[in-house]
Amino acid sequence: MSQMDRRQALRLFAGLGAAAAVPSLAACGGSSLGGGDAKPVGSVKIGLLAPQTGIYKVVGLDMIRGFELYLKLNGNKLGGREVELFKADEGDTADSGKTGAEKLIKQDKVLALTGVVSSATIGAIKELVETSQIPLVGSNASPTTLQGVKYIWRTSYVNDEPGKALGKYLADNIDGKVFCLAANYQAGIDEIEGLKATFLPAGGVMANEPLYTPFPTLKNFGPHLNQIKSSDAKAVFCFYGGGMAVQFVKEYKQFQVGLPLYAPGFLTEGAVLKGQGDAATGIFTSMNYAADLDNAANRKFASEYQKQHEGEVPTTYAMASYDAAAVLDKAVLLAGEDLTPQTLNAALGRVGQIDSPRGTWQFNQNRTPQQKWYLREVKMDGAVLANTLVSELTTLG
Amino acid sequence: MPVLGWLDAYIVSIVDGVAFGLLYFTLAVGLSLVFGMMDVLNLAHGTLYLGGAYVAYLLADGGWTGLAAGLGAGVVLGLAGGALLAALTQPLAHRGHLDQALLTLGISIIGADLFLFAARGETLPAEPPAGLRDSVEVAGHAYPAYRLVFIGIAAALALAVYLVFERSSLGALVRATVADRDMVRVLGVDTRKVLYGVFAAGAVLAVVGGVLGAPILGPGPGVDGHVLVMSLVVVVVGGLGSVRGALLGALLVGQVDTLGRAVAPEYAAFLIFGGMFAVLAVRPRGLVSLARTAS
Repeated sequence: MSQMDRRQALRLFAGLGAAAAVPSLAACGGSSLGGGDAKPVGSVKIGLLAPQTGIYKVVGLDMIRGFELYLKLNGNKLGGREVELFKADEGDTADSGKTGAEKLIKQDKVLALTGVVSSATIGAIKELVETSQIPLVGSNASPTTLQGVKYIWRTSYVNDEPGKALGKYLADNIDGKVFCLAANYQAGIDEIEGLKATFLPAGGVMANEPLYTPFPTLKNFGPHLNQIKSSDAKAVFCFYGGGMAVQFVKEYKQFQVGLPLYAPGFLTEGAVLKGQGDAATGIFTSMNYAADLDNAANRKFASEYQKQHEGEVPTTYAMASYDAAAVLDKAVLLAGEDLTPQTLNAALGRVGQIDSPRGTWQFNQNRTPQQKWYLREVKMDGAVLANTLVSELTTLG
Repeated sequence: MPVLGWLDAYIVSIVDGVAFGLLYFTLAVGLSLVFGMMDVLNLAHGTLYLGGAYVAYLLADGGWTGLAAGLGAGVVLGLAGGALLAALTQPLAHRGHLDQALLTLGISIIGADLFLFAARGETLPAEPPAGLRDSVEVAGHAYPAYRLVFIGIAAALALAVYLVFERSSLGALVRATVADRDMVRVLGVDTRKVLYGVFAAGAVLAVVGGVLGAPILGPGPGVDGHVLVMSLVVVVVGGLGSVRGALLGALLVGQVDTLGRAVAPEYAAFLIFGGMFAVLAVRPRGLVSLARTAS
């Protein structure tokens, strides 16, 4: 074995260093490689992880539409750079979501990620995102348990906020007790705990220990609706989404519970409202967005969205994804010439106020929005049922 | 009058339990007979229900013609689906339950994915005929009118199945084939025809159950799996290869599922399987299975 002198060793280390540096530089597309030709700016690769198959397909579609609409209205550019959008299928499960994220990060070598519908997925890719230091500007999933992250931002809201937003309003406006029920999984528990956090201090009284119904197997709410009827409650707060939301709302009408129904927005958001039809009329929900909000950004967003999608009313999912693009737009510009995932992440902390269809908002310490919450009622809006604005509730975040 | 007070509080749940029990019966009877007779565990049985519910959604026009068209299409779909499933599982008859389960599970996954594709993952609204959308009074409580009508139709269906199976010569042939297939074959009966017939009839019942049940348990992702699991529980509780067992088991499971959940909501998630466990501990072969072999 030949003796290695100091010069050879140094050369070897330098070689290793360069080899390690080259792919990471190549990965960030637009960075200038120290002098040489003065190419102004390159393109950016953005990875959109959203379900294109499975039970969350409808939500995924809304998110894709929201993001693409922003790109279309801005000449397919973010921060002045041409965008290459890579889409991966999140599917139903944490596993399929993680596979999609790995493809976007390792194969497509994107600058940043966006999307993510399910809390299970965001939990499963948390380590991947943090260790590969690729910022994720998520536009839906945001469980209360996701804290202390550096590279994960969300343009939606934390899962307990829809409940928190309603608590004081219900305590002030319902003359009597409130019956609470929710699907028995993390999101359901988050929502009920969120409600309790603001409802009880404001003097609200619950008619029952919160009732957690089996998830996702429950297909018949009859027995629980009778519990509500035989209680002395004056209003009901519930959390259901997807197929369960359709079933609950229809049976709530059929069994003539007859009490005002309050819920986090997903009970009547988007596709489920079509499934519920007239039975949903008169339901009150809290959400960070209503399609009929009167501000300049929303007039542009909602009308363009409806123009593109045969009059379909935009959902909060589409809006949050549109905002994710707006956030990236600002951050890419702020990061300037030296655009790497790390500088982009630093720039995300400096984007400041976002002029959004929901009204202006900004990121808080938790990397989630500080934003207004609205009370909405399901009503006929022209020829279609829609979640129409009733009033502002509060500001959270 | 504590008993009357109790009855008043839970009467709606009891009625609802009958509705769901009969819904599960339309599925379980086919599953039970096919398993009892052919030893075929058909895990695609829930897909037949989903197909029926989807047909009801497609053909519903808010009136009775839509429902009638749905039932007609349901019978055709059931016959075709049953024949197809029988033809596919027949070559695997000698290869044991695992291979059949794998095949039918595969079919159910394909069916579920086709449905997801067609419905974009949404739970579709299947409305009952216009006159039945409101509620009626049942002992002073509001109850969906369509569910009462459903109870009537499904009870008539169950009675018809019971009479054909227990009282007709055709039913005797089916019962004999369940009990001892080889003996029936020795007597010169082509048992394959019996098998295909029962498979098709069971499939028709499941699809018709879907058409009628759509306004109660509509076409949506996961519904196929739910009704399959419930009807498997019914079969286990009621005993294999018996119409009486399927009916008894279905009504029992229906009550546990609704009345049980109303009385003890905190145990809702365990009631069904807890009840199944209790029945199996006392009667390992199900409620009616022993009675059948004894008679």
